[in-house]
Amino acid sequence: MKRILLLSFMFFFVCAFSAMAQRTVSGNVTDDSGETVPGVNVILKGTTTGTTTDLDGNYRLSVPEDGATLVYSFIGLSTKEIAVGARSVLDVGMASDVQQLTEVVVTGFGIERAPNEVTYQTEKIDSKLLTQGQQQNVAQGLAGKVAGLQINIQDNGVNPQTQILLRGFRSISNNNQAMVVIDGAVASLGAFNNLNPQDIESIDVIKGANAGALYGSRAANGAVIVTTKKGRKGKGFTAGINTSLTFETVAYMPDFQSENGIGWDGAYDPIENTNWGPRFDGVQRQIGPNFPEGYVLDEQMTAYAPIQDNLRDFYETGQTFQNTAYFSGGDETGSFYMSLGNVQTEGIVMDDEYERNTIRVNASKKLGKLKLDLSSSFFTDKTDVVGGSIGDQGRPLYWFVLNTPANIPLSSYKDWDNIASYAHSDNYYNAYYQNPYWGIGTNRNTDETNRLVANMSGAYDVTDNINVSARLGVDRNAGTGRQWRDAQAYNGDIQCCHQAVTSFMEDSEFQRTEVNGNALISGNFNITEDISIKPILGASFIGNSFRGSIIRANNLSIPGFYDVSNGTGIPVVGVNESEKRTYGFFADVTFGFRDWLYLNLAGRQDYTSTLPANDNGYFYPAASLSAILSEAIPSLTDGGILSFAKITLSNATVYNDLDVYALNERFSQGRGGFPFPYGSVNGFEVAGTAVDANISKEKLNTWELGVNLAFLNDRFTLDGSVYNQVTTDLITNTTPSVASGASAFLTNIGQMTTKGMELTLGGNILKVGGFEWNANINYTTYESVIDEIRADIEEIAVANYGGYGVFAIVGEAFPQLKAQSYARDPQGRVIVDAGSGDPVLGEVTPQGKTTPDYIIGVSSSMSFKGFSLAATMDYRTGHVYYEQGSDAMEFTGRSQESVSANRENFVFPNSVIEVGDGVFVENTNLPVSNGRMGFWQNAYNDIKENYVKDATALKIRELSFSYTLPPSVINKVDFLSKVTVGFVGRNLWTQLPEENRFSDPEFQNQGGSDNGVGVGGYFTSPPTRSFGFNLNVEF
Amino acid sequence: MKRLIIIYTLVIGTLFTGCDDYLDVNTDPNNPTVVPANLILPVAQVYTASWLAGNRRMNHLGNMFMYNWSESAGYSWYNDEFQYRANATTFYSALFDQAYTIALKQYAELDKLDDTYLAYKAMGTIMKSYTFQLLVDLYGDIPYSEALQRSGNNTPKYDGAQGIYDDLIVKLTEAIDQLNTAGSLATYIIPEDDDAMFGGDLDAWKQFANSLKLRILTRERAAKGDAYVTAELAVITAEGSGFMTSNVVINPGYLNETNKQSPFFAAFGEDVTGTEVNNGKATCATDYIITYMQNTNDTRIDYLYEEPGTGHLGVQQGITSSNATQSPELVSNIGPGLLMSSSQDVIIMTAAEIYFNQAELALAGLGGDPEALYNSGIAASFSTLGADGAAAYSVQNVNNVSYAASADKLEAIITQKWLAVNGITAEQSWFDLSRTGFPANLPISVEVANLERPFRLSYPASELSTNAANVPSQPDVFTTKIFWGN
Repeated sequence: MKRILLLSFMFFFVCAFSAMAQRTVSGNVTDDSGETVPGVNVILKGTTTGTTTDLDGNYRLSVPEDGATLVYSFIGLSTKEIAVGARSVLDVGMASDVQQLTEVVVTGFGIERAPNEVTYQTEKIDSKLLTQGQQQNVAQGLAGKVAGLQINIQDNGVNPQTQILLRGFRSISNNNQAMVVIDGAVASLGAFNNLNPQDIESIDVIKGANAGALYGSRAANGAVIVTTKKGRKGKGFTAGINTSLTFETVAYMPDFQSENGIGWDGAYDPIENTNWGPRFDGVQRQIGPNFPEGYVLDEQMTAYAPIQDNLRDFYETGQTFQNTAYFSGGDETGSFYMSLGNVQTEGIVMDDEYERNTIRVNASKKLGKLKLDLSSSFFTDKTDVVGGSIGDQGRPLYWFVLNTPANIPLSSYKDWDNIASYAHSDNYYNAYYQNPYWGIGTNRNTDETNRLVANMSGAYDVTDNINVSARLGVDRNAGTGRQWRDAQAYNGDIQCCHQAVTSFMEDSEFQRTEVNGNALISGNFNITEDISIKPILGASFIGNSFRGSIIRANNLSIPGFYDVSNGTGIPVVGVNESEKRTYGFFADVTFGFRDWLYLNLAGRQDYTSTLPANDNGYFYPAASLSAILSEAIPSLTDGGILSFAKITLSNATVYNDLDVYALNERFSQGRGGFPFPYGSVNGFEVAGTAVDANISKEKLNTWELGVNLAFLNDRFTLDGSVYNQVTTDLITNTTPSVASGASAFLTNIGQMTTKGMELTLGGNILKVGGFEWNANINYTTYESVIDEIRADIEEIAVANYGGYGVFAIVGEAFPQLKAQSYARDPQGRVIVDAGSGDPVLGEVTPQGKTTPDYIIGVSSSMSFKGFSLAATMDYRTGHVYYEQGSDAMEFTGRSQESVSANRENFVFPNSVIEVGDGVFVENTNLPVSNGRMGFWQNAYNDIKENYVKDATALKIRELSFSYTLPPSVINKVDFLSKVTVGFVGRNLWTQLPEENRFSDPEFQNQGGSDNGVGVGGYFTSPPTRSFGFNLNVEF
Repeated sequence: MKRLIIIYTLVIGTLFTGCDDYLDVNTDPNNPTVVPANLILPVAQVYTASWLAGNRRMNHLGNMFMYNWSESAGYSWYNDEFQYRANATTFYSALFDQAYTIALKQYAELDKLDDTYLAYKAMGTIMKSYTFQLLVDLYGDIPYSEALQRSGNNTPKYDGAQGIYDDLIVKLTEAIDQLNTAGSLATYIIPEDDDAMFGGDLDAWKQFANSLKLRILTRERAAKGDAYVTAELAVITAEGSGFMTSNVVINPGYLNETNKQSPFFAAFGEDVTGTEVNNGKATCATDYIITYMQNTNDTRIDYLYEEPGTGHLGVQQGITSSNATQSPELVSNIGPGLLMSSSQDVIIMTAAEIYFNQAELALAGLGGDPEALYNSGIAASFSTLGADGAAAYSVQNVNNVSYAASADKLEAIITQKWLAVNGITAEQSWFDLSRTGFPANLPISVEVANLERPFRLSYPASELSTNAANVPSQPDVFTTKIFWGN
């Protein structure tokens, strides 16, 4: 990073030589790590005489014979003064300056600002912290490391989905995910996910809506501004490789009962998927169907006893092998960075595979006053995973694993293709759900995608004060996919209950292009000695287009041949296209006063294609102020405790437009399950969503107050911010009465307020000898409350599953989980039915919010000589989630609850019977209806409140231990300049509350941008942990 | 360097000229915003068919409540049904939700057409009336006058059940007038193949409208009095088109392709590869209906219920144990008279019911020969199933079989209607049971704790959360009857 600073440094400093040399001092300047530092300003104190170090960190300067003192300064390093004395050679080691470690902040379109000038709160993550866990995706590498940033890893597939939320939710229906900018150009979240983490130099996180004036509406959700590696100016040529190999295993399974096994209603039944059999007795018994006389197999016999980890053993050890080779270099006028990355992953599910290749080329060149930059990356990936719609019921794989009774040796059924095996479809024990190994072999989902993200820019210094620049970027993503399912027929004489599985194949293609560009004129003027003005005028545009198509053929004629021609009937086809365009003009002015007070005023006028043509433009302003109190009032730093103090206050407004085409109600050709045409009769269905005739933009306004403090000569830093985000006229898919004839009503509704606070405490805890311990603790808290929806609407269903779901409810925190509750008497005791003894259904009531009260993230790194130990953990609490898997599995009788009363009828604890209107008597003797099975499957399972769990989780997300060989060893090998070896671990340890017995509360069934967070379960395999090794070699 | 500035200016200039055109891209290329009437009507009809005949839809519910169907061993398909869980807000809530958001929404679109499409509008009105009546029969008060306004009204009020019934009669009369107008001039556009019910036969539509009126009048006679019914019957007579004498069916051209099979066949018959679906295996006759039909020498038994090699076998409702003697291949699943082919019609109103409704009014002295109409009803039922021997059956000297031998003629009519709509529009017999108490002595699922059968369904959870200000307080489904039941 220092080398990047050098660029700006050399830009603005032209050093004059003095002619009055009497003697010469020369030397070499190095930094903490012993690397030489080019471009260090070396000045003879009290004069303007000076020089800068050359590419190798060497300097030579004429000094007076006596009393000369040299001042060494460089951004990011503490300024050092050294009396020359009689020395003629003066080698200097400069230490990092903690406060200035943030160096420059990248604000908008590649505009860099000194931290003092930034009038709102940002946080910077450097490459080292980002990649310490050798995560495959950037988002994973950010989790737990930035205050205000919540990364949800929503599954544990070979290419997991992540959700990136800055300061929570601002919208009920619209996308709440942060905006992404890569090297100055707006890019998609997909482009972010496709980055090779090793290519990233740093990430600046703008937490509030303050980037809105520069980037437009998308920045309303905050911005993640990625700067990729650019090549080190003056460093000559560097080449390196980074390799890691990690292994992934199931971390924990749901907590199951192991007292009762296969059976139904208390009786042994050898073909069940359920555990309602008698208590285990260890006796050899038949499992699976009876076979006819002379069959290729005898009936399968096993001990009627629980098999420990029978489900866990289904999962394999996955592995991820990541390699990046990189080359970089540069000289006075240009630099480049190139990398090749490859990731190969084998999942914990047999045959799940993922491969990714990335290529990055960054280059920059300065031609006099013109500077040209290129940032480009190309990405390809290839996924081959088990299909998501297995068997005649079209269920996910985990469903089949979970529907395996406790006494079944699941991992012995791998040989599904062998007709003489118990794993074969006709011979498999389970009469209702298929062998999951068969599922893997006969259901595949494959795709290949590629993405080009590139932008080029030119900047020209018109005068010393005025610069014009323009940038054109493209983010193009395309891919093809194929899914298929094989047919499966059953021998009806053996298998009683299986329905034949039908086959299908589906080909899909898509291409998505985003083109964006901007042009800026920026200036830098000093009006008086005290007052500076930095104006920016600009214009930008974004154009998005998408085209996707699918073609699906059902009931394939030739088994194993996956082409559309192989289907029977009319193939299902569909094409989906869209195009959205926006453009805007903006102005941004920063006034500086005496280097301690900065005022920023910004405004943007946007035009969008998705709003009505007569109302498609809108203006939004932002204003912010920053005061460096420690500069303004130098006495603050007296006493040596406080060394820096800055306060910022900002207000920003951003408007958001509609989704593409959402303005008009559109017909569609039939709907899912009712495809028209029937022969020559075609048909179109009225839209499910009704659209408000007056639909308009939504508005977000944010206040933010921030404080940045540094203590003990910048050894510790404390950054804090409080904010208040108010969204009004939210563009929302409200839930009208179905009797209105619409399933959803798109309209602008009321108001939502998010209040929050962030604190980050960082610094150097210990520095003794060669030992150093740095840590960063961040604290995030926020709550979004629905203030108002509309006079006639009390709540909006975000994701309604029937009996439970995620809602937006007036007066409640959002997102709010609601579930079918117990009916209770005024004392809170459960009311049971006077006839059956079973609990009576109460109302569907709010159960709590699904985002945490607070998140604490801790990153710690210790180093000693070449050793380094780093860890990141986070703790989230105060929220709930719905264990959908637990709910679904109640039917199978494998839950702990189902054996809590020994499968007998019992009096429901702390229950009452209503004997008269509002009169309740304690229930002491009326038991539930069928504790053997029916009670659990029905009455208990109906009370969805039973599956609302505390979502608290403490996770050690990353742990790394590495050793960098000392220069003394490295230097013995000519071509080596750096060798680091390390151990990495991810999610090594997770602590969940006792009541959460099922899965990781971060997992979510819907995934992606869906706001219905807090419902998870059986759609994704159990949580995993990874560990492995890492090697980094530089030449 | 001046050159660069000029180029720069040109580039920027080009980027932002013609901005008006630049933003003119907000037209969805894949989904139209305007669609002609002939592409609206068939979709609505297909949805109606599915709403009635699909899995866990209207007919299914009727068969479970009326003890026509039960469950084979090895399945736990019908836990909710066997407990008559009509007090739950999720129980068959799709009947409420999908009536409005699928079928009615689509018919309502026809109301927006200009008068050239008068015939389409009238058909939409008739089908809305058909649907609203069933909703009243299931729920009592429902959103009606303010319903289906989409963005115009998100929270429609609930109208009184009886008032809706009254208005349906008015609306049906208007629709018949419109059909007469539409049929009189060539300028009116009449549907053809896009009418999946009658292929544009306006007379048939009028007969269907009259038959619907008959169903309404039969149901509400007790509440409204004979004078009202007589007057309305006179309107029907005066109009002159008469009643349907064949089944009213929907068939857009169902075929043996995924999602295009006839919904009842898809739900209980075979998938497109010809394999019996699990739902079909899981669903079978009750012991009671088998015995009842055997005791009355009813040849329809072979059409309503499959006969395994070991003979007809039914299962008591609510048995949950896995008794191997009641496995799918040994019990009587739904029979070949109901499950014929992928392309079979969906019957939305049986001719038999229309005869029995006439018979009931005739029995009350409102015109017609009850015995003849009764026998026509039985004949129509046999004919629908393809069974022979209607005449021989109906002359047996057995109570509730032969009209003459029946002690209570109303009981005979309602009991025969129960048999006639079995597996087809079985919900009708549930409404009759709530209204008349017939068929008498119908058993109840052994899982039911309080030994009662519901009279109605609860309002769905969706209404409680989205229309709380309007939805009536949840009735006790085991005690509160629909207005015509008192």
